[in-house]
Amino acid sequence: MTGDVEQVAQRYARYTALGAAVITGLWHLGYDLTVTVAGWHAFRRPMLVAAAWTGYTAIALIATLSLARTSRGPARIRELAVAALAVDVAVIVACRPGDLLGAADWGWGSVGWLGVMLVWDRPRWRAELVAFLAANAGIMLTAMVVTGTLDRVSVAKYLVVIVGGITMQLGYTAGCHTLRARAEDAVLLARRLAADDAWRESAWRIHADRLRRYDAIRDAAESLLERLADGADPGDPRVRRDCTAGAMRLRRLITEREDVPDALVSVLRERIDAAERRKVLVAAPPFGGNLPDLPAGVREDLLRAPVRALDGARSRARVTVSAMSTMVSVAVVADNDDLPVSATPVHEPSGVVVTYQRQGGEVWVNSIWQPP
Amino acid sequence: MGQQHLAAPVTVALVEDHQVVVDGVRSWFSPPGPVELVAHGPTVDSVRGTAADVLLLDLNLNGTMVVDRIAELCQGGQRVVVFSEHEEPETVRAVLDAGASAFIGKGRATRESCLETVLDVAADRPNVTPPMAQAIATDERPHRPQLSDKERAALLFWFQSMSKASVAARMGIKERTVRQYIDRARVKYAAAGRPAPTKEKLLVCAIEDGLIRPEEVTVYTSLAARSDGGRASSGSGSGSGS
Repeated sequence: MTGDVEQVAQRYARYTALGAAVITGLWHLGYDLTVTVAGWHAFRRPMLVAAAWTGYTAIALIATLSLARTSRGPARIRELAVAALAVDVAVIVACRPGDLLGAADWGWGSVGWLGVMLVWDRPRWRAELVAFLAANAGIMLTAMVVTGTLDRVSVAKYLVVIVGGITMQLGYTAGCHTLRARAEDAVLLARRLAADDAWRESAWRIHADRLRRYDAIRDAAESLLERLADGADPGDPRVRRDCTAGAMRLRRLITEREDVPDALVSVLRERIDAAERRKVLVAAPPFGGNLPDLPAGVREDLLRAPVRALDGARSRARVTVSAMSTMVSVAVVADNDDLPVSATPVHEPSGVVVTYQRQGGEVWVNSIWQPP
Repeated sequence: MGQQHLAAPVTVALVEDHQVVVDGVRSWFSPPGPVELVAHGPTVDSVRGTAADVLLLDLNLNGTMVVDRIAELCQGGQRVVVFSEHEEPETVRAVLDAGASAFIGKGRATRESCLETVLDVAADRPNVTPPMAQAIATDERPHRPQLSDKERAALLFWFQSMSKASVAARMGIKERTVRQYIDRARVKYAAAGRPAPTKEKLLVCAIEDGLIRPEEVTVYTSLAARSDGGRASSGSGSGSGS
């Protein structure tokens, strides 16, 4: 589900960015080109207008490529922004002074769209776009002052075009930004919900497993207490042994703390349960430390030899796990007489090293993994 | 409190709320022996003021973890040895950070190992039990002491093997050298100051986990004690200081 939402957010970013490019392209081809070709002879310097149109096209292409690749404006926009404003000036210069606010002067209405493309999704897009549009408006106002085109009709026309253009360009940019931000919020929310679901699921499983084992221990304790109530001798070694085993299981259950099931610990607990069902007295201090993520095959290699030692324990065993971010060590000490032991450390292909040692009727099997 | 008198047995006060454990420890320390149990009680305050070389402290007293009481005890000059089943490395580190001299895990304690620890602590010698070895070796906190590879290996093997002799065989060194590595790590650890630990409440965890319900948390009173028809209410049921 998270992947789908993420894809939707990416599409929002991409298609709104390309939307800006399409508007710019259509405007430039449909209006700017038509005006340039149709009014070719009306321009004071037609070649300058053609060069301005070409320059505009080049800037638009550079910005479009960037938007298509990254859904964001080009990395360095200062030179491109200056070039875009130069296009504006060129068209003004190429027009006759009387056409300054006429249809022929297409530059000042169009370059705003270049600004929209250049600042698209940049961190300071608001300030940069406002500065660009203000510069564009300033250039046109300066031209009007220089040419003396300051009559009421001209000023009104200027204001209508400037306000209309800025409203469209700024409005489109801000609207798309809001859409994109909402889509990204939706992605983050979906990720958080997915993580919560995973955590809840794993916590529920652990909880259910603990309750199951708690029930089993309670039944064992109940039967033990009934035996004692019926006159079983507390001094009898077998009774004392059963009491000790029950206390150890209960203590281990209460001191378990993990919220997320760890596959390595789960396997060990399962084998400890199996050993205890065979009346083996198992001591297992809390499996503490931070268990790192293990590469494929490492867990199996870490567990194989210690589990074999535990499975073959005659009457007692001790299971320990030590873990750090850079090391995991699993060990079993057991009165296992049949386990074949290697005199030298065994190096598994996964990087796990297994050592064996026999001493005083017990075998110590220790497998250690350290990342290369 | 608590200078060791070489001619006399080392004196121990025990804070423990389970009578069966008190009886067990008393049998371990019964005379004649190098260690003598001079007082016991179910709370820290019940043995306060008793002159004892070593205070043996259970961490979970009547459902409450008392890790946060250790610092004040140690600051008063008391040598504290924690005796608990809460052998998680984080708990052991919190106990050592608070100033306890040693941590004995109830799951693996024997009379011999307990006597050895108490005697070492009373003589202010470093003593590292297996749970301490695990806690020190796997410490990854920013201000942890820098252990050498051999010191760390000796600690881990000590925690995971059956004896220091087996550690020596594994490392191809003498047992005396193993002890040196372990003791040196302990001294480094003691020298690295750490912030005080946070309080953890096992009982709260057990309730949160759904193992027991809050209404089940009552002090146990046996049926025999209630044979007078409900006249007796719940009592402490624990031993008091002697």
